[in-house]
Amino acid sequence: MRSLLRRTGKEGSLANNGSGSSLFGFALSLPPLLLVLGFVGIPILIGFTFSLGFTKGPNRVIAIIGQQIHPKTHWWGTFAAYSDVFHDSRFVGDLVLTLAVTAISTVLVIVIALAIALHQRLVGGRTASVLATLSIVPLFVPVVISAWAIHTFYGGDGFMRSFFANIGINFPTLTSTSTAIVIGSVWTSLPFSILMISSGVQAVPDALIESAKDCGASTLKVISTVVVPLAQTPIIIAGSFTAIGIMGSFTIPLFLGPNQPTMLGVEISNFFGSYNRPQQSLVMAFIVFLAASGIAVLYIWSNVKSAKENGRI
Amino acid sequence: MRRYFNPSKVALNLSVFLLALFILGPILWLGVHAFVTDWKYPHLYPSGLTLNWWSKVFLDSALKTAIRNSLIISPIVVVLSMVICLPAAYAAGRMNYWGRKTFMITLFSANSFPKIGLFAAIATLYYTLNLMGTFLGVVIIQLLGTIIYMTWIPAAAFASVPRYLEEAARDAGASKFTVFRTITLRMAMPGILVAIVMSFLASFDEAQGSYLVGAPTIYTMPTEMYSLVQNYPIQVAAVFSILLAIPSVLLLGLARKHIMGGQLAEGFQIK
Amino acid sequence: MKNVEANMGLELRGLKKILGGRVIIENLDLSMAKGEMISLLGPSGCGKTTTLRMIAGFLIPDAGTVKVAGKDVTNLGPEKRPSAMVFQNYALWPHMTVSRNVAYPLKIKGLGKIETAEKVEAALGLVNLLHHQDSRPGRISGGEQQRVALARALVQEPDVLLLDEPLSNLDAKLREKVREDIRELQRRLGITTVIVTHDQEEALSISDRVAVMNAGKIEQFSNPQDLYRHPATEYVATFIGALNRFEGNLVEGRIVSGSDVIGIRPEDLILSSQQNDDALPGTVELVIPRGHFFEVVIRREDGIFKAFTNEFIPAVGENVFVKIKKSLRYQNGKLVG
Repeated sequence: MRSLLRRTGKEGSLANNGSGSSLFGFALSLPPLLLVLGFVGIPILIGFTFSLGFTKGPNRVIAIIGQQIHPKTHWWGTFAAYSDVFHDSRFVGDLVLTLAVTAISTVLVIVIALAIALHQRLVGGRTASVLATLSIVPLFVPVVISAWAIHTFYGGDGFMRSFFANIGINFPTLTSTSTAIVIGSVWTSLPFSILMISSGVQAVPDALIESAKDCGASTLKVISTVVVPLAQTPIIIAGSFTAIGIMGSFTIPLFLGPNQPTMLGVEISNFFGSYNRPQQSLVMAFIVFLAASGIAVLYIWSNVKSAKENGRI
Repeated sequence: MRRYFNPSKVALNLSVFLLALFILGPILWLGVHAFVTDWKYPHLYPSGLTLNWWSKVFLDSALKTAIRNSLIISPIVVVLSMVICLPAAYAAGRMNYWGRKTFMITLFSANSFPKIGLFAAIATLYYTLNLMGTFLGVVIIQLLGTIIYMTWIPAAAFASVPRYLEEAARDAGASKFTVFRTITLRMAMPGILVAIVMSFLASFDEAQGSYLVGAPTIYTMPTEMYSLVQNYPIQVAAVFSILLAIPSVLLLGLARKHIMGGQLAEGFQIK
Repeated sequence: MKNVEANMGLELRGLKKILGGRVIIENLDLSMAKGEMISLLGPSGCGKTTTLRMIAGFLIPDAGTVKVAGKDVTNLGPEKRPSAMVFQNYALWPHMTVSRNVAYPLKIKGLGKIETAEKVEAALGLVNLLHHQDSRPGRISGGEQQRVALARALVQEPDVLLLDEPLSNLDAKLREKVREDIRELQRRLGITTVIVTHDQEEALSISDRVAVMNAGKIEQFSNPQDLYRHPATEYVATFIGALNRFEGNLVEGRIVSGSDVIGIRPEDLILSSQQNDDALPGTVELVIPRGHFFEVVIRREDGIFKAFTNEFIPAVGENVFVKIKKSLRYQNGKLVG
């Protein structure tokens, strides 16, 4: 495996690896870092203070425009906006839907991606490459288009209903249901997971698979005891990126989901725009971020663990 | 003896068919609509074929403006992203400076904040800096979405260039800069290419942020889609979708070999 | 001796290198004549690669000087030094064809197209690879890759050629042939050459002189014959060739307890079925055919001896007489007789 840490050569590398290059490296990394800190870090920080009721300073304008603003009541702020959100039955429904859609979609994506990757690794052949190529296709399609395409395909006068009507089956209209969000999420997330997982599964050496078979392991046993554990890191990376992406998604649930309950991505936008309740909107964003952070920790942990196992730390 | 009925083979073919239907069905269904007069439930055939929708799109000035905006903004975003991120990617891939890992993880954390929430939070800053509804504002919003691709993937590509290949060039008399230009950069090129393609698509396809920041003064193709699907018949959206998909298909076709070859996957493993 | 400078191939004086707080090379001296071929031989971690990298310019020594052809290059980077290196894994650039790999150093020097083409052709001709000039390195065999790397080094017409474990990535059969090819080429071109290797057979068979290294120091720098017959230190004696090693003294052909270390080469033991002067009786414990000779393990009352013989081959369990023809005596690791 290629590695970013394996940079100190066996007996030292080019002569100039002093502390000067360390400072230089840090300087080179500043532009994107400053951009992210400035346009992601600062807005999030300001947004966080606003969610706690700091309505002065940079938050002054938005506090005047917005409705149902709770100014701070203690020196540290107030949880009033948070309490608003948690007492809103709509939010609770949204949260449950968001978590459920995220969990179901992620599991489906990983299972499908793993199945295709394993088939490609263990069986191979033309069918396998057809499957792999097919599953990459969504990468080529902008998410706005895919959302709309799925919307029409499973819609009231879409292909699925037309086709089944012709053979006498009344296929349900999936568009504007939570099922459609899952379909859309799986559709758009599949390519990244396939690429990640198949690269991990391909990296498992033939010798390890063959020696396991030689010990009498069935194909299923080979998969569960050799291939999957060895490809664990890419699988976790794929899973965490997929979950984080779906949890914060907007376009897919907007086009495909029901009006009520809807996913938090859409609700954040509704609260911010349509309902003009920016404070509550931000509170929801932080709740989603908190959940996403939990998944991010899993991702980082998995990376660190694999780095340790490879003796890179 | 040959078996005419092989259950595992049937199951395999069935799953290929279902995946094809699942993946290709929706886009083919939408694509076909760009060429039909009308298609009513529950008919399996359209009422007739036409190219009228295409002229409708090309004659609509709002749609044309959106296309032009997208084709101007995305290249600018990609070039800016390269200028800002590639030196950092080189540093992250090649140097062992203090805070390197923190840097990678910071970028990742920034990426895991829900986009729509960030766009809501960014409004305050945008009002303060007078970026709302400006060209620069849209560029910055789209730039944010490219950073993770333009640092991580090239960083992995730079890291995977073996040291000894650079040393061999130094030994052959090349200066450090020549080594970088003729060996390191050249060998990291596939990774950089993948990063460029992914960044272009991230920018070109970005809808939520550009809509929040740009509307109603600046519309790009994806943000135009939001209003398009509500105000026009599906056939117009279909035409527009095909237009919107052309750059993606072209670019990804160009980089397909490297993307499937693991450059993308390699970039997402922090090491 | 007025022409000393011109005749100088490579000279290392008082080299010292500390890496990661560890002294890798301590006060190393070495000088070799122009056109000579030497090996740096030692186990991994002995500092031979570090020494080579200091000669090439990838490492700047913490103390001491490196002179190539009489010119001090100590503080020059690798691109400014008149040395060319063949890397252990050949380090061919995968995105260039064979001939472009070889042409690279010339292009850097700013040579014209025609001249470059001529020199590349000549270099590839030297290593018999003209038929592969348009191939990519990934498409040719390991042995061919190594010849490309050699051509790329030779095309620079270096004052000193550096080879880092040149044969370690080749299979056994090819190794011997490539070894002879390198030696033949080096003689023909009269090019000053330093080889780093951990393989004593390789070092002894290819070099004019071998520097045996251990723990950052040169234990002995001499011709192969000398190294084998008169190993200056106990380390060299045990590292090169097989050795029966005893702690004690040798008195009248018998090992007795003492403070010295006695080393006896297996071929310096004479076996016979009859008693003769200084021979002592022993029992054959093991007979191992080794191709053109036999290895015989014999237990004498003063120790267990390993002998190489191809004249008198005893059977296991037989009683034989073993005579020590020649021995090496070491005190505190140094040869004393």
